Amino acid sequence: MNDYENILLHRLKWTYLLLVVLTLMTPVIYVMYISFNANGFGANEYAFTLEFYGLIFSDELLIGALRWTLMLAVVVTLIAIPMALLAAKYYKAADNKLFPVFLLLAPLFVPPDILGSALLVFFKNLNLTFVWLGDQLGMSLFDSWFRLSFLTATIGLIIYTIPYSFVVILITMGRYHPEQTEAARACGANGWRAFWDIEFPQIRAGVFSACAFTVILVFNEYTRTSLLKGGFDTFTTVLISQMLNTGMSGQSYAMSALVSFVAIAAIGSIIIFTMLRAETLSRVARAKAEPVMS
Amino acid sequence: MPDQKAPAVDVRNLSKHYGDFVALHDVNVTIAAGEYFVLLGPSGGGKTTLLRTIGGFHKPTKGEILLNGRSVGHLPPDKRPTTMVFQAYALFPHMTVTQNVGYGLKVAGLPKDKVSEKVDYALEQVGLSQFTHRKPHELSGGQQQRVQLARAIVLDRDILLLDEPLAALDAQLRKDMCLELKHLQEKVGITFVHVTHNQEEAMTVADRIALIANGNLVECGNARDIYRAPEKAFTASFVGENNMLSGKVSAVNGTSVIVDVAGSKLTVDKRGLAVNEGQEVKLSIRSECVALDLVNGTHAPSDGISITGSFDESVYLGLTTSHLVRLPDGTEMVSRVIADVDDSLPEAGAPIRLTWKSSDIRLHVD
Amino acid sequence: MSNPLTDMADGDTFPVGLQKKAPLRERLVPWAFRAPLVFMLLFFAFPMAMTVVFSVFERTMFWMEPGFTLFSYENFFFSARLVNFLNSMKYSVISVVICFAFGFPIAVFVRKSIPQIAQHRVVLLFILPFMVSEIIRVFALRPVLQRNGLINTTLLDLGIIDEPITALLYTHTGVVIGEVLSFLPFIVFSGFLAMEAVPKFIFEVCDDLGVGPWRRFKDVILPLAAPGIFAGSVFIFVNGLGVALLPNILGGAGAVNAGLIATQAITALDFPLAMAVSAIMMTTLMTLLWVGHRLFDLTKILTPLS
Repeated sequence: MNDYENILLHRLKWTYLLLVVLTLMTPVIYVMYISFNANGFGANEYAFTLEFYGLIFSDELLIGALRWTLMLAVVVTLIAIPMALLAAKYYKAADNKLFPVFLLLAPLFVPPDILGSALLVFFKNLNLTFVWLGDQLGMSLFDSWFRLSFLTATIGLIIYTIPYSFVVILITMGRYHPEQTEAARACGANGWRAFWDIEFPQIRAGVFSACAFTVILVFNEYTRTSLLKGGFDTFTTVLISQMLNTGMSGQSYAMSALVSFVAIAAIGSIIIFTMLRAETLSRVARAKAEPVMS
Repeated sequence: MPDQKAPAVDVRNLSKHYGDFVALHDVNVTIAAGEYFVLLGPSGGGKTTLLRTIGGFHKPTKGEILLNGRSVGHLPPDKRPTTMVFQAYALFPHMTVTQNVGYGLKVAGLPKDKVSEKVDYALEQVGLSQFTHRKPHELSGGQQQRVQLARAIVLDRDILLLDEPLAALDAQLRKDMCLELKHLQEKVGITFVHVTHNQEEAMTVADRIALIANGNLVECGNARDIYRAPEKAFTASFVGENNMLSGKVSAVNGTSVIVDVAGSKLTVDKRGLAVNEGQEVKLSIRSECVALDLVNGTHAPSDGISITGSFDESVYLGLTTSHLVRLPDGTEMVSRVIADVDDSLPEAGAPIRLTWKSSDIRLHVD
Repeated sequence: MSNPLTDMADGDTFPVGLQKKAPLRERLVPWAFRAPLVFMLLFFAFPMAMTVVFSVFERTMFWMEPGFTLFSYENFFFSARLVNFLNSMKYSVISVVICFAFGFPIAVFVRKSIPQIAQHRVVLLFILPFMVSEIIRVFALRPVLQRNGLINTTLLDLGIIDEPITALLYTHTGVVIGEVLSFLPFIVFSGFLAMEAVPKFIFEVCDDLGVGPWRRFKDVILPLAAPGIFAGSVFIFVNGLGVALLPNILGGAGAVNAGLIATQAITALDFPLAMAVSAIMMTTLMTLLWVGHRLFDLTKILTPLS
């Protein structure tokens, strides 16, 4: 903000910004509000209760679904993050950057129902082909490699989340000076050690942010997961199918609120963490700016 | 088995292409063990590319590089007998000075006490023993470069590559660090290959200098020869403050040649070059070797070592004063003197005569 | 015998003492970096391309049979589905325009008036709603937009209206509201990235020259930020067409978009139809991206990151 800009206008614009964020959050906050009401939605009286949350944790089905969701989140993160790292390094070194960018960011532009449907049909056909192949060769080794299962859901979710991790990691790598990798190589470290000892400690924050995003994205995902998962259930698929079939019950409000709480807590802590780090860094930078004896 | 008498670095027919762009073209250079060798040249001319190819950061398109007599092929930097000091940003910010310097030793698997010992010794050699626990951002520019040096010499490799190590420092600091670098190299005794575009820096530290421009090795020799008797016209135009004159050969007499320049006939030593009558050639003469002749201004010279022009202006630079004279063909010649000229200067446009010693002017055919 | 490592022209001197072939491990390393791309080709690009192939298969009771028939396309184009599809396109475009009008000024504001260090933090605020499940946010709109929902009860209590507004839910308006609220953060993100191309001094220069904000936007900001704006718009448009739950939850009877047609087709076990819809969507998307790339060079969006 420069000296000539109108303070009132600035405050007005800030207010608008915050209002927009608030509007976007209103439905979620309202749902949380309802979830604590024993009388449910639309009732005239408000009676605070945690009973719906209690119901969640005593429901066998839901706890099972939660477990599946966590497993899915962990596996997808463990695979997608290193992939995003490798892809980011490839992108930085590539001459033709259009090809990797297109391939890695295109999933953002494919709507979930379309991606899910296409992959569903693809996997089923692939599985049928493998079964046919197995029959021809007389073995059933790979009969069920690609039936709809944890594996297919994982693949679909990796495709869904990799653009986000890719962008976050690229942004973090942007602040890294490649001379340091070269210096490490010149000191005798091979490519892997140079990455692990020197580069990774400096991009760690971005990598962990990408991990957090991926976990949240997987947790919240419905369409692709429901199309590709096969036999098991995830927390969100249970929730959504309940809501689609029987409408929104007290328990669904609580479930939605729970998922939202977790997501907000995670993002909130990232924001706070980066704010704290920014404070330390600027303190360090200020110290650096002071003259030091040569 | 590395050959003890082999040169430290032997570059043979090295070319490096980036698609259509030729960064290096058929470069041949030999650097002896224990030498302080400088790659000097304009920005973008290929000197850094050459250095980095020696270090293993670029793959040659053609040709080969031998280090200590052995071809290194496409060995990565960590497997070569070289190590490198960078211009900036190359210290590991999340490590202390000690950890930075000891990193290479840690990677090599040396025991902790050995690492400690070597690190302390290296820091002592660069004069940073009191800064062991600082982080890079707590050091000044000069100190950071010294940490890089310590980190490089602690590895006991044979060849140290320096990529414009002083470019990020201010002028005074640069002068001080130049001498420090020279003394360090003499003390440690390994081969230094140093890239810079700064001529003064090159002259201060170098045993020998190679001039690299437009991807070619233009000329190679020690500082004195390059300065006083450059072979190529480009060298003359880049090193020192030379007057570059263009002319046509009018006669060849045994060991000397007569060249028509801007209406005057100049005599210059042939230097063993092959010249023919009518050939277009270049002449160079250092501006400090050119004297202003006020007295015989109106006489047309015929001694072969002077030329007439018209006086333009004088530029007072403190230590020196430069007199600018315009020749009939439009070229500007400079006469640089140290003494303060208190005498009245000629008027602008007044005819003036420039003269020099016959041994000071040089002939270039390319 | 040529050595793949040295990659030299014929007739050049063969290097002395060079190792014959790099160890296997060293040669495999570049492939590790290509692995993510191979994965995406195998499991993303290829399946998406195959939708075209599958869409011409014949439908069977429970699955489909390889063949060639355009039945699914006929089914799609010569039915009410096409009209609904085009309608949903119209509403998607409206959503894009509304998102842009409300969201892009925020991106400009953040870039222009907030100090560099704080900019990312402010943008993170917009990740907050996005990180709550998209689906939950859509569902959460029901209790807000309903007849006896938050908006109506508040307006009634304040005395601004006498009768509850029914046009907010189970209508096209509801769908548009859902789309805008779901995707507004994206126009803020892409606008933010796009504004990277507009240097800060532009604003001062425009002030100096007396250029008003509308002209400044039209002549300076828009051309420079075009790639990012375009990408964000395509994202919102395509997702508006493809997220089945939007018309499903918020739309009235018969409200559909491409995504809903596809998922309904799958539930009905009409897989070739689902594939046909997917293929049409993919073609629309590719065309838009190709046109955008020709007009604006979309790789510019990532330049702040490289």
